[in-house]
Amino acid sequence: MTDVSSSFLPASNTPPKSATGQEQKWVPIVLIGIALAFLALILYIPAINVFYQAFHKGFGPFLHNLGEPNFQHAARMTLGLAAIAVPLNTIFGLCTAWALARKRFRGRTLLLSIIDLPFAISPVVAGLMIVLLYGRNGWFGPFLQERGIQIVFAFPAMMLATAFVSMPFVAREVIPVLEEEGTDQEEAAYTLGANPWQTFWRVTVPNIRWGLLYGILLTNARAMGEFGAVSVVSGNIAGKTQSLPLFVEEAYKSYDTEAAYSAAVLLALLAVVTLVLKEILERRTGGHLKKTH
Amino acid sequence: MSRWHNLLGRWGHPVASLRYRVGLSALNRFVSLFLVGAVLSISVAACSGGNTSSTNASSPGASPASAKQDVELTLVAYAVPKAAHDAIIPKFQEKWKAEKGQNVTFKQSYGGSGSQTRAIIDGLEADVVHLAIGADVNKLVKAGFVKDNWTKRVPNNGIVGETVAAIITREGNPKNIKTFEDLTKPGVKWVTADPKTSGGARWNYFALWNYAKKQGADDGKALEFVTNAYKNVVVLTKDARESTDAFAKQGQGDALVNYENEVILAKQKGEKLDYTIPEVNISIDTPTTIIDKNVDKHGTREVAQAFVEYLFTPEAQREFAKVGFRPLGELGKEKEFIEKFPPVKTLGRIDEFGGWTEAQKVFDDGGKFDEIRAQIAKS
Amino acid sequence: MATDASFSIHKAMPTTEALSRSTSNSPWKSFWNSILHMPWTWRIMFAYLAFMLFLPVAAMLTKSLTIGPAEFWRIATSPLALSTYDVTFTTSLVAALIDGVFGVLIAWILVRYTFPLKKLVDASIDLPFALPTAVAGLTLATVYSENGWIGSLLAPFGIKIAFTRLGVGIAMMFISLPFVVRTVQPVLMQIEKETEEAAWSLGASSWQTFWRVLLPPLFPAILTGVALGFSRAVGEFGSTVIISSNTPFKDLIAPILIFQRLEQYDYAGATVIGMVLLIISLLMLLVINFIQVWGKRYD
Repeated sequence: MTDVSSSFLPASNTPPKSATGQEQKWVPIVLIGIALAFLALILYIPAINVFYQAFHKGFGPFLHNLGEPNFQHAARMTLGLAAIAVPLNTIFGLCTAWALARKRFRGRTLLLSIIDLPFAISPVVAGLMIVLLYGRNGWFGPFLQERGIQIVFAFPAMMLATAFVSMPFVAREVIPVLEEEGTDQEEAAYTLGANPWQTFWRVTVPNIRWGLLYGILLTNARAMGEFGAVSVVSGNIAGKTQSLPLFVEEAYKSYDTEAAYSAAVLLALLAVVTLVLKEILERRTGGHLKKTH
Repeated sequence: MSRWHNLLGRWGHPVASLRYRVGLSALNRFVSLFLVGAVLSISVAACSGGNTSSTNASSPGASPASAKQDVELTLVAYAVPKAAHDAIIPKFQEKWKAEKGQNVTFKQSYGGSGSQTRAIIDGLEADVVHLAIGADVNKLVKAGFVKDNWTKRVPNNGIVGETVAAIITREGNPKNIKTFEDLTKPGVKWVTADPKTSGGARWNYFALWNYAKKQGADDGKALEFVTNAYKNVVVLTKDARESTDAFAKQGQGDALVNYENEVILAKQKGEKLDYTIPEVNISIDTPTTIIDKNVDKHGTREVAQAFVEYLFTPEAQREFAKVGFRPLGELGKEKEFIEKFPPVKTLGRIDEFGGWTEAQKVFDDGGKFDEIRAQIAKS
Repeated sequence: MATDASFSIHKAMPTTEALSRSTSNSPWKSFWNSILHMPWTWRIMFAYLAFMLFLPVAAMLTKSLTIGPAEFWRIATSPLALSTYDVTFTTSLVAALIDGVFGVLIAWILVRYTFPLKKLVDASIDLPFALPTAVAGLTLATVYSENGWIGSLLAPFGIKIAFTRLGVGIAMMFISLPFVVRTVQPVLMQIEKETEEAAWSLGASSWQTFWRVLLPPLFPAILTGVALGFSRAVGEFGSTVIISSNTPFKDLIAPILIFQRLEQYDYAGATVIGMVLLIISLLMLLVINFIQVWGKRYD
């Protein structure tokens, strides 16, 4: 792997033009302005519209909707799906990143592209694939039916669908960081007599923690928000196999617009609670790290 | 393990870095936090599973003794009649409890008619269905889930919810759109769901077809009429619900064609919509049936059949009428409902066009609707 | 296809074990050996991939082949299908590239600058994943329609966004934005300290620092983000179908063809379109990933 700092320095060998203080002042403002304008157009105004739809009749209907038993069941279902899919994909992602980031071999690019594939597969097709495997007429259908094991239209298939659509995030987030980081510190750890496991936990993971964290954030958000794939395999039975996005859809379809938007708002909030985790991590480790630099 | 050591060892020359010692405590904390979070959420989910099943069992006021013979029915339906079923189910539960002393719990699933049908064929264990078009029940018959005498064992050929097509217009109807013919006029833009994906939109297609036929057109002329109408479509949404939004919320088109009952429901839920019921119209018939294969497996045939029959009683039909379906039988003659549902002079039925077995072919690959799409693409 | 790929990778794996056993007589045996002696990380990776990805894709492939090659070809290359590929892939690519530019900018301001409400902005980046796609489509269609908050400002200029291809592009930008930001952000955090300070101490302006010092190492991450965003946009259905008018040959996207066939219980036909999308996406991902590898050669 390339050593980061040494590869940068030659870039600044060209005679540096004098950096002016004035430039420093307006550049950030302009950049922040452009970025926020873009975010406003693509993200904030549409998002505000969701909040507006949820709350324009006040907080009463919102709270009432949160009290619905079917809603609460759907929320727990969504949490449960994320609670299984996220750790699974984290383990997979770490193994994959570890296996791929520092090796060059024939077919590596192909393997990387294959790992990206679950994003490119239309969620509806992802659900369909699970049905083709585990459904009544699927490959394993007869086998499962004989033994009375219910996979599709039950929690297991929903879990598979959720894990499928959020599969590549951790791997894809960690690989660039791992590549960027280089192996120096790990080698140092080995020289100091650490075993691979210690090295992994004490050196590698701290170094890749931002990539890992963003990977987990994205996995979680995507796992909670997934509709298409889950809808194909869940059967959408209220109070039984209905996740939050499915609840939103059903409420919307039966013209309970407020309920639909309230659930959507809650879903958005649930998915970003992982940011609280990030905040904690930042508070606890950020300070230490800065000192070591 | 040592393999890794070797592998890494081969790469490296020692570089002094002390960062790893600091990372230890921080990382441990992070990982433990993560694990705690994961375990917590799993346990929450696990507990909740237990809770719901217990509350479901006890909610209809079951004593532990009678809990043994409780029975569970899974109702799978298309999206629109949810409001009606929500009102009917408690009444049926009460009635069944009084008659048989048995508690019935209902599991309900609502979604697109086609998707629901597909789910049942793939293993969703529904006892009772209520679908948007007969074509979907035919698919269940073909897959061996429903006996082909399903139209004969309940009243009204199994058609439990009847409605007609409505044309929704902008306030005050500025373009004066009253009949299906007005939709073919140049300069009129209208919105419908895509018949390829929506059961309701297939009814819209036949509403247009029926209109042309009732004006005396032959098949060729009728196809031309329908093609002209579809040329004026600005948005083909995925389903009926989205077409309402495209028209009402997003301001697309001058008119929208949708189920009458859906328009009434939308109005009840606070949407502002002006609509007319065209005088030449089609009877939109939504069927219900028990799923023979599943009720036999679950041992729920008796109660499932009783529920389906209950849906045809005046009591249940009144609930359907409240949310916009045209009530069946004598009920429709009540004053309240005569006012609510303007009479249709010429009402066509899908049987006139060969029933859904034939009618569905229009939307299959290479069928008439594909011809229409090709025509529109050319122009 | 998928199994071929993994096979070639097993063979190509440069582990000591694979090398030492390459002397054994049968190639199948050496393949088997290389599996047995694979590091455990590889085993987990392949086991998970096999169960979660290869098996389902194999199921899809066999289903799509049940109808025979002629019918496969007819469905895959019908004029309507071809036009939807065009709409889907070009719009996705453009949307992903625009996201690439703005995503880097957003990651940059989030890592480098402090400004009011920064934490909120940071938190909001993941919103597009968290919102159910249908809600996203709905709110975008509402806001960008002629009588919506943004659409009404553009309507006087004759710009129509909702229910056109432009709208589809906006929806795709919306759903794939987090990819770029979240891929670039950690790398940016990792490299900022030493290098940037070095560049600054040598007197480079922040623009130069960004362009000459930061962009080259960021480039792989940016490409990864764009690749992911692109593939997500290709597969996306829930939100794009609502903001599109679904007019054939105009803004009808490919995933809706899949849905249409599913509605007719035509699984084979649906998987055909699914396979085509999958293969084209895989090829485009390969190209993007190759560019990334190629770009790094000069490090």
